[in-house]
Amino acid sequence: MLSLFSVVFTFLALFLLIPGLFISRRLRLPFCLENIIRFFKITASKYDDERNDERGPLGEKEKRARNRMPKHVAVILDGNRRWAEKRGLGTSGGHEAGVKRLMENAKDCFAMGTNTISLFAFSTENWERPEDEVNCLMALFKKHFKSEMPYFQRDKIKISVIGNRAKISQSLLGLIEEVEEATKSYEGKQLIIAIDYSGRFDILQACKNLATKVKDGLIQVEDIDEKAMENELMTKCSEFPNPDLLIRTSGEQKISNFFLWQSAYTELYFPNVLWPDFGEAEYLDALTWYQQRQRRFGRRV
Amino acid sequence: MDLNQSMRLLSSWIAQIGVLGLDLLWRFIHLVVSLCYIVSGIIEAVESYAISLGLNKKYSSINIEKLRCLAVVVDIEEARDVSKVIELLQWLRTIGVKQVGLFDSQGLLKKSKDLILGTVPGSVLSEEIGEKDSSPDQNPLALEFISSSDNKEAVMKAANILLQDHLKSSRPENDKGENFFTETHLNEALRVVGENVHAPDLLLVYGPIRSHLGFPAWRLRYTEIVHMGSLNYMRYGSLLKAIHKFTGVHQNYGT
Repeated sequence: MLSLFSVVFTFLALFLLIPGLFISRRLRLPFCLENIIRFFKITASKYDDERNDERGPLGEKEKRARNRMPKHVAVILDGNRRWAEKRGLGTSGGHEAGVKRLMENAKDCFAMGTNTISLFAFSTENWERPEDEVNCLMALFKKHFKSEMPYFQRDKIKISVIGNRAKISQSLLGLIEEVEEATKSYEGKQLIIAIDYSGRFDILQACKNLATKVKDGLIQVEDIDEKAMENELMTKCSEFPNPDLLIRTSGEQKISNFFLWQSAYTELYFPNVLWPDFGEAEYLDALTWYQQRQRRFGRRV
Repeated sequence: MDLNQSMRLLSSWIAQIGVLGLDLLWRFIHLVVSLCYIVSGIIEAVESYAISLGLNKKYSSINIEKLRCLAVVVDIEEARDVSKVIELLQWLRTIGVKQVGLFDSQGLLKKSKDLILGTVPGSVLSEEIGEKDSSPDQNPLALEFISSSDNKEAVMKAANILLQDHLKSSRPENDKGENFFTETHLNEALRVVGENVHAPDLLLVYGPIRSHLGFPAWRLRYTEIVHMGSLNYMRYGSLLKAIHKFTGVHQNYGT
């Protein structure tokens, strides 16, 4: 009996404890069964994706349906102010922590194989916030565009900023243009940052662009269809304009005027955690949740 | 040579044992995760039945006035079973919801419109509310039937109307479009096309995935989206819980 117990214990130690420690150290996560389970599921899914690629060419939609890692992940970064309030910090402290988390999470997402990440950094409605807060956010954008430029260039990440640029200061606008110009030739990884973005404004500016093209004789009225519309939306800068997964933190369950047109078949994930606390473990959770879904894009399978 | 062969045999056995061990570990992890999901599902079902039986006092009174318009998105596979949709509408009427928009991407519910209106007591089309001076039912349930054609296709038609207005304007060459392409104008154009532009306060999604499946994008700006699972396993308690949770939500609209 004792020898049987020692054999079972040795087996458990060899196959559970040691790999578990190795995995959790690699992930820099607390050692718990949940995190290890998540890691196995993600790794197995990546292995499945590689095997699917080796099987040969498939249609684009079939490939995406079978491919269990999202190509485009959109994130609504909500909860900075509540996070700061809980810790007795000012709003600026919350936003600073949020931006720091933003860069860390972007690096993790790309490392896990996501091609495009969209971040809803500042909505059109956010201009109504107190002036101090708005100024703080703009200053944070300037600071991090400058400081993260070497990282974008080193890891060849294409940066695209979408939104209505009319109200953005000249200094920030200049920096945005500089970053976009410096990274425009990169492929494979793209970070889309939505500043002063509104889903309804996106649809309207697409309508306006099409109207201008008709007026200039470039297209006919009959040519205006869904495809033409999608080619005028601000997400035309991306190879994958429609997000596969949209994450909104802080427990709010709405998309708040973000990617209204583009999110028709997007998986919506609403974790309760506040944005500055949304780390690699929470992102793994979102991915495992996403991979369990059966996406049919509105068709019958 | 014997030693080499023995070593090769031994390493092959070790590799096979290792693969078997990893396979067992993987299945063990699957088992644990599946058990966790089963347990949480049981807890949810018990809670839902408790709410349905009125055992949970928290859900006995709901401020339904806050929910002016509710939308329900149904997956196309589940929209084929109209009886479930009718049962859901009857529950919503019991709770006190006054306006419901029913959406499925292929318009199956639109085709069953007459059956649904004939079976759900007190239900009328939302377009007919106000047209009839006296209704036998003082609290009718206004229903709207929506499909994918009311989403992008409708926006395209509305965009064409705006384009025609813009081209007809007295000086189109000078006008950059600011006077014709505003949210108000697009709302108006959508109404001309025959679309409802009112944004639902709450969207309940019945299906295998949490996605709005092409519900009219223009209307979803600040809509709360709640995934309710499969329509086949819907529970009155879960529905009540979702509506109650919505009434406690505070909207700050980005400010």
